[in-house]
Amino acid sequence: MSGVRLEGIVKAYGAVQVVHGIDLEVQEQEFVVLVGPSGCGKSTTLRMIAGLEEISEGDLTIDGRHVNRVAPKDRDVAMVFQNYALYPHLNVADNIAFGLRIRKESKETIASSVEEVGGILGLTPYLERRPADLSGGQRQRVAMGRAIVRRPKVFLFDEPLSNLDAKLRTQMRAEIKRLHKRLGVTSIYVTHDQVEAMTLADRIVVMHDGRIEQIGSPMDLFLNPKNTFVAGFLGSPPMNMVKATIAAGDQGPVAEFDGQRVQLQQIPSLTNAVGTEVILGIRPEFVSVANQDDPNLVGLDVDLVETLGSEALIHASLQGDSFVIRTDTVGQMHVLDGIKGFTIEPHLVKVFDAKSGEALPGQVLKQ
Amino acid sequence: MSNDPDFTGAGGATTEELVFDAKEAQRRRKPNTMQRVGDHLKREWQLYVMLVPTILWLVIFLYKPMYGLQIAFKDYSIFRGVANSPWIGLEHFQTLFGNDQFIRALKNTIIISFYGLIFGFPMPILLALMFNEILKQTFKKTAQTIVYLPHFVSSVIIAGIVITAFSPSAGIVNTILGWFGVDPVYFLTKPEWFRPIFVGTGIWQEAGFQSIVYLAAIAGVSPTLYESAVVDGASRWQMMWKITLPSILPTIIIMLIIRIGNMLEVSFEMIILLYQPATYETADVVNTFIYRQGIQGGQYDLAAAAGLFNAVVAFVLVMTANAISKRYSRTSLW
Repeated sequence: MSGVRLEGIVKAYGAVQVVHGIDLEVQEQEFVVLVGPSGCGKSTTLRMIAGLEEISEGDLTIDGRHVNRVAPKDRDVAMVFQNYALYPHLNVADNIAFGLRIRKESKETIASSVEEVGGILGLTPYLERRPADLSGGQRQRVAMGRAIVRRPKVFLFDEPLSNLDAKLRTQMRAEIKRLHKRLGVTSIYVTHDQVEAMTLADRIVVMHDGRIEQIGSPMDLFLNPKNTFVAGFLGSPPMNMVKATIAAGDQGPVAEFDGQRVQLQQIPSLTNAVGTEVILGIRPEFVSVANQDDPNLVGLDVDLVETLGSEALIHASLQGDSFVIRTDTVGQMHVLDGIKGFTIEPHLVKVFDAKSGEALPGQVLKQ
Repeated sequence: MSNDPDFTGAGGATTEELVFDAKEAQRRRKPNTMQRVGDHLKREWQLYVMLVPTILWLVIFLYKPMYGLQIAFKDYSIFRGVANSPWIGLEHFQTLFGNDQFIRALKNTIIISFYGLIFGFPMPILLALMFNEILKQTFKKTAQTIVYLPHFVSSVIIAGIVITAFSPSAGIVNTILGWFGVDPVYFLTKPEWFRPIFVGTGIWQEAGFQSIVYLAAIAGVSPTLYESAVVDGASRWQMMWKITLPSILPTIIIMLIIRIGNMLEVSFEMIILLYQPATYETADVVNTFIYRQGIQGGQYDLAAAAGLFNAVVAFVLVMTANAISKRYSRTSLW
């Protein structure tokens, strides 16, 4: 089984600890994405798996073998770097063959492997070119070619698409996904881009300040964030946060703020929390805009409506904070002209404790 | 009714006329060269002010003396001056190539330069590669300081150290040889020892300082290239050979072109300080020949001819090296 297991992994530089005891198990053939803001320790974790950083504490197992003290070359991993790490003096074929030459593979094996990888990645016409003569996307493909030619047990990707423009990034994202399906190699991918994480991952690991905040499938994390950090990090535009106090309403618990009310779902953790200060997490996509009075309407001051074609982004303010709504435009244009506020289904409102930022228990949104 | 398309514009002008008008308008909008230079100077005048001292230095010390080059083709007399001395064509060059001392000096220059190129040129590269491999920063800095130091010591002192070190009575070299029962050798009076001592002294004095250029080039190599190679399984030796060296190759080539251009400029002052009539046979180079003939012997015109010859050969060498490099390695000075 070529899975990867991290148990209590710690990284410290002198007295400063940057990764605080990470536990993670990546299954064979799984695509796991480590996501988080800059400085959260995701790249350091990946580099520890690669063997480029020493592990201060904890145990790392690859394919059932304890590898804390094993040299990078003997871990049977391949890494794709953010800046491609291509050798500028070598052409595409020699760049792809570099690892095989170092391992003293036969000329015939090298030639056939390079040809095969070139074919898989559509690099055959460029094998004689140097990296300087390639586009960003082609360079990225060469970097991936260098990784896959060795047929490693684990692929490690360190923000491989960060240097590409938006269009190319979307294209390459799909290619990486396709490649993973085709090769079925266990992959660990680091990014700060939540869209990449959502689209590529079998499971996402959200990291913050050297700790894992939450692990789960993309939709699970999107629908059921464990805390306000995960809620705010995943989703574009991010989840709206509204400070409120839970009160008892006619039909169960309600959240009150600025003289307005939002109906909440009837579950014990909310029913029993009357008087508790909370943060309401409202996804921009989960609300319905309204231009007419409604007893459940939450009033908004609309600043700006951005029409993006099939959908629109409504920038408004609530309690003086920014509040964004994403809505369809088809058949809705008449509503967009005079928005008064929004309504939302009670089960779609996520309630977090205002002090700890943790979601109150029992709120599970099914996919 | 004609089916031909109508090429006339709104005012009845033809397409050619409209294109001509558009081009004319574009030409009028585009500022002329003088305007552009003026605007540029106005914008970047600080840079040009900073350039002035260097330009003055070039004009006064390199361009103005070129006027005096003509004495290489004249029967020059300090009383008649440069302008009034009579032209004699290539007579000085004929004299030079008929002069055994000049031929010997030329031969020595080429041999010493060749030794310098073969042994001296790779040394800073090796030093830089070795410094790059030192992981302990304190040791690295100490080692660098030690090898840079001779560059900052005056040539006179360096020569003094060399003369003392090779002295037959108290020199360290002869003392060590004495331990093995070898009789003292007066190295600096033996022609066969002059070139190794001179080239070795040059390496000791300059290799460390010259390694800075290569260290800077190595510092510019992306660390991810090494990390990627580590994951691929490359050893330190393989990384040095397959990544560091090829990455700094353009710098090596540029330095080689410059070195080839300076091949005939053997360190004149060090030769003057180390040589003596007993070693002229292997030590006398074109520059020391010019110094003796021109300054000490008062034959300014003959010395100018030798100097001009030196410069022309250096020019040809640097052009050739640049062209070869451009052709085969895509790297060149211009």
